[in-house]
Amino acid sequence: MSTIRARSPAAYWLALPAALWMIGAVVVPVLLILWVSFWGGRAFSPASPLTFDNYARFFGNRTYLALIGQTLLHAATLMAICGVLGYCIAYFLMVKLRNAPLRTALFLAFIIPFWTSALIRAIAWVPFLGVNGVINRALLALGITDAPVEIFLYSRTGISMAQVSLYTLMASGPVVYMLAQIAPALREAAMTLKAPPGVVFRRVIFPLTLPGVVIGQVLVFLNVMADFATVQTIGGNKIALLSNLILNFYEGAQLRAAAVVSVILMACMLIGVVAAMRVVDIRKLGG
Amino acid sequence: MPEAPVLAQLDLEIRGLRKRYGGFVAVDGVSLKIAKGQFVCLLGPSGCGKTTTLRCIAGLEEPDDGDILIGGREVTGDPPWQRDIAMMFQDFALFPHMTVGKQVGFGLEMLKRPKPEITKRVTEVLRAFEIDRFADRKPASLSGGQRQRVALARAMITEPRLLLLDEPIGALDYALREAVMIELKMLQRRSGISFIWVTHDQNEAFSLGDHVVVMNHARIEQQGTPEEILQRPRSPFVAGFVQGNNVFHGNVARIAGDAALIATPFGEFAVPLRDTVPLLGAIASFSVRAERLRPMPPEPGCNHLTLTCRTIEYFGSIRRYILERGDGEVMKLDQFGAEPACLIPGEVATVGWRAEDGVLHEGAPS
Repeated sequence: MSTIRARSPAAYWLALPAALWMIGAVVVPVLLILWVSFWGGRAFSPASPLTFDNYARFFGNRTYLALIGQTLLHAATLMAICGVLGYCIAYFLMVKLRNAPLRTALFLAFIIPFWTSALIRAIAWVPFLGVNGVINRALLALGITDAPVEIFLYSRTGISMAQVSLYTLMASGPVVYMLAQIAPALREAAMTLKAPPGVVFRRVIFPLTLPGVVIGQVLVFLNVMADFATVQTIGGNKIALLSNLILNFYEGAQLRAAAVVSVILMACMLIGVVAAMRVVDIRKLGG
Repeated sequence: MPEAPVLAQLDLEIRGLRKRYGGFVAVDGVSLKIAKGQFVCLLGPSGCGKTTTLRCIAGLEEPDDGDILIGGREVTGDPPWQRDIAMMFQDFALFPHMTVGKQVGFGLEMLKRPKPEITKRVTEVLRAFEIDRFADRKPASLSGGQRQRVALARAMITEPRLLLLDEPIGALDYALREAVMIELKMLQRRSGISFIWVTHDQNEAFSLGDHVVVMNHARIEQQGTPEEILQRPRSPFVAGFVQGNNVFHGNVARIAGDAALIATPFGEFAVPLRDTVPLLGAIASFSVRAERLRPMPPEPGCNHLTLTCRTIEYFGSIRRYILERGDGEVMKLDQFGAEPACLIPGEVATVGWRAEDGVLHEGAPS
């Protein structure tokens, strides 16, 4: 049970360094972005009048509106794929695998790739996905295709493939944690109460891992929404999602538009997290 | 099948059950018959195979060899959800995400009973177990005693033929245990369901069980009524494991009539023969209960030895003297607590017992 105790004065002092850091590195910059997104006029200066013009311009453009939809759809797709894959991997590792050394070995094999930076891993996908990439050569060599498949690189498929590999661990980790909390006797109790394995899973195991699933979904959602690096390297300049639209505006020196998209992206993420937290109380994750 | 009606009388029959984990033999040829509506206790030290036996009956472990019949029907290969059993786990294994009401109704839901019937039965059962106040609570907010009731209600609602209980009151406060034991015993009598109760606590086993099965090293050492096991232990293990026995090891020196003379480091003692006559010189052991021992001058037909009184334990109903035998082992002598003390600590005394009160063990001492 999580117990929320009354905080002592010492607790506040302990939290102070982190709080100062967060204020300086996150809160103030976010407020600045929010402020800039309302700047009107022609000059880029703090003296600019505050208007809704920037937002009006963004929401008046159908292409941009569609982009919000596409970004959310893309995130939803990734959440679904990573969620299912991550759950299966977690379940296999924690429940099906009885051999402890093998479990540790597979666990490490699963985790070690994630020690590499996300950017490097994204770039590492390029030689795999290209027209002359590993996947295409393999398909050709096996005689599955006659000509290289072009939809891998510079496509949403390619981005999704790379992101699935990048973020499945995030969907899996919290489920692994939740599964580890479930006493084996619970499964056995359900079986002696006449529940066959499918029902045991549906009625006992899955509900008990639900907080882990939701936390995993939130992690995938936030990372996919914020991930411009993978979209940029694997999508080339052909594919735009909200995250790299910010980059495009920034590189085009349209700082006010970049701020607007940033605010919208952050709002989407915030709404997603709040919605998820209504389903599951994150504080209960401690068991 | 001519024997079918006889088999149907048995709630459980186990024949030659064997289970090994790698090189460790957990259950080695256990056979057991349980008549209808019996309270059976599997008693033994930890690692003796009692829990593994129970788990094999439940179908949670697959035996390497042997047959299990529940109500005369062979179930050896059946999964737990197809057996006519329910089980209560040591830490109760309540589903943390389900309310008490939902939890207790789970078994009936699995049997696909109609909803109104489930609601009605759950209400009845919750009331019978005095947990109706908690119907909408989750297990985390209940006390140990309340959880125990929920677990029992959940297990019994489907009225299985067998209820398997794995150390079911081990997780309760000591003060609560006695009350719960009496309640469970009465519940078992009323319901007519056979209980198989696994415990390492002999007080539980002897006060609850109609039939007690003492296990050690993956085998059954002895089974019978509490009285049979307490008064006539068959092996030095059983004699030493149950409280209140004084165990002697020695060799058969002589057979005289219906008694054997056992030579021990403390002298020769006459012990009545049991079913088989041991060979002269064979290793033998016997035991005598603490309440059969008393301070006495040497007299014919009795065995005696001289011992030093170390301490006295007073339990109210009995007074127990701890006597030093000289080989590092102690002997126990029990006296009614209401009588005046017959020995004082430090006193050297001759104690004895009637020869017919000794119990010769069968087989070689382990």
